[in-house]
Amino acid sequence: MKRTWIAFLLLGGCVHVAPYDRGYLARPDMALDAGLGTARALEKIHPSKEAASGGASVGGGGCGCN
Amino acid sequence: MGAALALPILAFAPRAGAAVVGEMGASILGYKERGLMKATEPILFGHAVIDDVWEVEASAVGDILTGASPQFVTNVSGRPVQVLTGASVHERRHAGDAKVGRRFGDLVISASAAVSNEHDYHSKAGGVEAREDFNDRNTTVTLGYGRANDHVGSAIDPSLDQPRTTDQWLAGVTQVLSPVSLVQSSLAYSDGRGWYNDPYKFTLTFYPGEELPALLPDLRPDHRRSFAWLTRYRRHFAQQQGTLQADYRYFTDDWGVRAHTLEVAWEQQLGERWSLRPALRYYTQAAADFYSPVIPQTAPRLISSDQRLAAFGGLSPSLRASVRLQGLVLEGTIGYVHDAASLRLGGSGSPEFETLRAVYGILSITHPF
Repeated sequence: MKRTWIAFLLLGGCVHVAPYDRGYLARPDMALDAGLGTARALEKIHPSKEAASGGASVGGGGCGCN
Repeated sequence: MGAALALPILAFAPRAGAAVVGEMGASILGYKERGLMKATEPILFGHAVIDDVWEVEASAVGDILTGASPQFVTNVSGRPVQVLTGASVHERRHAGDAKVGRRFGDLVISASAAVSNEHDYHSKAGGVEAREDFNDRNTTVTLGYGRANDHVGSAIDPSLDQPRTTDQWLAGVTQVLSPVSLVQSSLAYSDGRGWYNDPYKFTLTFYPGEELPALLPDLRPDHRRSFAWLTRYRRHFAQQQGTLQADYRYFTDDWGVRAHTLEVAWEQQLGERWSLRPALRYYTQAAADFYSPVIPQTAPRLISSDQRLAAFGGLSPSLRASVRLQGLVLEGTIGYVHDAASLRLGGSGSPEFETLRAVYGILSITHPF
């Protein structure tokens, strides 16, 4: 895992894509999260039935999920 | 419910001269487990970037839960099985969150707050996040801290009012890899203290030759430290007009849970307006150290027969379709959840795990502005 992060930092110095060349990166299907409404709905489905959760954010509260 | 890490260059397609760019909309989730709970969740949401300086985001959620929930695990029939609540459960939850950020050059500082209330569970949370762009915005580093203060109650024990406090830290890097690909990797550490017992879960065990059974409530540790490593990759294939989306998360905690989650999706553009996104999610977890569907004859200090802490795996296919109309984006998702002991990686799930099957649908309408 440490190596992965070091690779990231090295990549940061090596990769440079000019702003005018980022058209594809701005596409909605390149977004890391689903749309806000769909993302909120998906939070209800798996975390309430599995022991693992989180990883993408902080500052959220819990729920007494059945 | 936290505000997710964002990659600024991807948030919205830039519109020259626009003072406010964003979206607002509404969604509704319908979720139904076979023989268990049913949930309906309406959601309102909005997100805007103002003058390229301020970023605001908010959502409000209402949950309506009905149906039966597992209450006892008992071996009265010879093998441990779940016994459901007799009367149908009917619960409502109201939740909301907001996040405000301000850009200072390449640095964005933001603060968030979230609240969630149901009759037997109250949660307040807040967080701060710093996000800085480097390398001409090809690299974004995010650091975050959040705290949640929860209060656990119970409809069957009105005297129960126990606190739980969770501190969360997050560090993430988003890296543009090429004009058509990017990757994000984040580490999240959570340190929780307080009440983790589920007041609605019990274990009832009969022993051969013994007249009286043993009954124990859910008894979990009073702390939980967990660590999650999430990596997400996106790559667009211009010739095929499609995008590969792959997410992997490794999760571990000091309860003994180890879990892997992998989701792979392909979003296909169909003409100017339509897109279709088939996806498959796989999940596998090891059982918590104190998970047991029966009470050992020497009563343990900690025990939970809640099968969410058992060893199992799950497959969840889904299909999302979206269409862009004049000033609106309509999006629909349907999905299926199948959790089973045999789906655990390696196939050695907890034998008592009762297979869960559920279907869900999400409808969203969004107005970009």
